Amino acid sequence: MLEIKDLHVEVEGEGIEILKGVNLTVNKGEIHAIMGPNGSGKSTLAKIVAGHPEYEVSKGDIMYNGESILEMDPDERAHAGVFLAFQYPVEVPGVTNNTLLRESYNTIAASRGREELDPLEFDDYLRDKLELVDMNPDFLERSVNAGFSGGEKKRNEIFQMAVLEPTLSLLDETDSGLDIDALRIVADGINKLHGEDDAVVLITHYQRLLNYIVPDHVHVMIGGKIVKSGGKELAIELEEKGYDWLETHATVNGEAK
Amino acid sequence: MALATRIEPSILHKLAKYAPESENSVWADLRAKSLKELNSTAFPHRKIEEWIFTDLRPIVRTDFVPLEEAGTFPATDIEKYFIPESDRSRLVFINGKFHEKYSSIGGLGKGVTVGNLADHSDEEEVQKYLNNLVNYEDDVFVQYNALMFEDGAYIHLEKGAKAEAPIQVLNLYTDAKNPFVATPRMLVVSEEESDVTIIEDHIGLGENRYMTIPVCEVKVKESAHIHHVRIQRDSIDAIHVSRPIAYVEKNSEYHSYTITLGAKLTRNEPRVIQEDEEVDFTLDGLVLIDGEQIADTHSVMDHRFSHADSHQLHKVVVNGKAHSIFNGKIFVRRDAQKIDSFQENRNLLLSDDGLVNTKPQLEIFADDVLCSHGATIGQLDPEEVFYLQSRGMTEEKAKEVLTYAFALETIENVKVESVHKLLIDEVYRYTKANSESKVTV
Ligand SMILES: Nc1ncnc2c1ncn2[C@@H]1O[C@H](COP(=O)(O)OP(=O)(O)OP(=O)(O)O)[C@@H](O)[C@H]1O
Ligand SMILES: [Mg+2]
Repeated sequence: MLEIKDLHVEVEGEGIEILKGVNLTVNKGEIHAIMGPNGSGKSTLAKIVAGHPEYEVSKGDIMYNGESILEMDPDERAHAGVFLAFQYPVEVPGVTNNTLLRESYNTIAASRGREELDPLEFDDYLRDKLELVDMNPDFLERSVNAGFSGGEKKRNEIFQMAVLEPTLSLLDETDSGLDIDALRIVADGINKLHGEDDAVVLITHYQRLLNYIVPDHVHVMIGGKIVKSGGKELAIELEEKGYDWLETHATVNGEAK
Repeated sequence: MALATRIEPSILHKLAKYAPESENSVWADLRAKSLKELNSTAFPHRKIEEWIFTDLRPIVRTDFVPLEEAGTFPATDIEKYFIPESDRSRLVFINGKFHEKYSSIGGLGKGVTVGNLADHSDEEEVQKYLNNLVNYEDDVFVQYNALMFEDGAYIHLEKGAKAEAPIQVLNLYTDAKNPFVATPRMLVVSEEESDVTIIEDHIGLGENRYMTIPVCEVKVKESAHIHHVRIQRDSIDAIHVSRPIAYVEKNSEYHSYTITLGAKLTRNEPRVIQEDEEVDFTLDGLVLIDGEQIADTHSVMDHRFSHADSHQLHKVVVNGKAHSIFNGKIFVRRDAQKIDSFQENRNLLLSDDGLVNTKPQLEIFADDVLCSHGATIGQLDPEEVFYLQSRGMTEEKAKEVLTYAFALETIENVKVESVHKLLIDEVYRYTKANSESKVTV
């Protein structure tokens, strides 16, 4: 489904290289976890897949369902089923959650050749999705993320994912900021949404999330590269040992700065 | 003033000779006085501080003619501008002239007088307040209006009277062969504990050049409430120079919302003057301009007594080569304590060629005062655009939604439903037109 090949990414116009040759393949039905120290490039990877204009691919490619998506705008990628749950969800004052979701749902539906829902049908549809992440319907009439607590913003991201039904979900530190109960609820929601036709990439710092959402593959990103991949045991090993042992590994094998 | 230096006659000075004759002595006195003042007052120019950013060429370079020689076309299909809530509380003026045929004033309940100023010239309130509330010093526009107007809107509420419906003062300007000048006039006197909502609408029916100089005087007496919505939808080539001023007495409230959409050049100078303690007033504005439009707001909020709550949110969206100017003066006089005053001017610049000048101006002589003020000029936040795009909206749609959201805040408080809806439609049309013009460029 997603195939990232020798991806080098720079900050647009500034020549600062952040990703330095990332390779990653995600197949239908899989869950991948990406871990790694602060500033290693995890969010950048997620954002470039979603099409953030701040970054520029200087080398390599991102293939999605067999085709390069580098030339596609962020909205076209969303139409094709890519979804990014932001590490820092953006506040959009004046635009209600309801407006955003109706607009998004209908454009995505149209681009996939599905029926648009009329307002009543859409209300019912939303109600089910709210239940999935146990969210208060009052949030529908509030401006997107404006004044939401940290945890509420994260839950809202997963609510949007539930509504838009993406095929590739990139969830950037969705667990950070959630309390213990919320983490379980949101994780359950993600598990329910995940099926054999879609894939999930989780970015996280904590092994705890992976107790709830069990990954098929775990990758470690350091210094803009994936330096190690393994099964779910790798997360446990990281929890015990930290990243130091891998960092030496990265410097030995990679071109150290 | 005694030594009247010779002034360069402007187009307004030249048109002064067409001032109407009046049998009525109130009007005649006012005209004589105004003519004298006008003849000793120079037309403004950009060397004067107050006019430094404003391009007056659209006025100076136009050969305006008297209305009678303008070759005006009839006003047709005007019913579509009637708001349903004011079905029986509407005054209609065409090029400044009252049209009884389109007006309807039966639905206001007891104690409310609404009509043409010319028919109420012998009333005590008219004689007391008319032209005595305007405090614009050496202002040729007020002088010209006072010299020229014959008709005008008169709204009077007796003590305790509550208008049962919003009053629509509809000012229409017709298409014409030649550019003309109109001088709409309005006087509102709201006695103790009365309550009224006024929708003042200015609409250009064609795309022609004309100049309108509306002067509006409002007196809000003790514990009275006025909700005043001013919509400017003049023709795209028009010039709109307006002077609305309100005096607020003890415990009163005056809330005004000015929406500027039309005209090539707008100069709006709203003022609120506090006359006693415990008042609450709003002077909000929304300006949506494009192309080569110039919209200038010079406002004054004059706090002269203690205990005032004042609020001014002035939002501007600039596209194309349009130019917005804002100068918001807040005065707090020496003994005016416990003032809570808020002023914010937010400008959204959608194009590279747009221009914004903003100058909040606080002059505070009291010490126990809370004044927050701010001015920002910005583009749409690219993170917000990306966020919406990542949810499937096209870039154009995302920008449209964000512009719409930006503008909407200022009209949320307009409480007449059809007007609120109309304004939403106007905002929508503006943002839509923008994103379409972007796509085709
Ligand atoms: N626009 C930018 N301009 C300059 N540097 C940037 C920009 N965006 C990201 N970076 C840098 O790139 C590096 C990777 O950032 P990124 O946000 O991808 O890290 P991360 O792995 O997600 O970290 P964290 O775990 O703290 O979220 C950081 O050093 C960051 O400062
Ligand atoms: Mg990150």
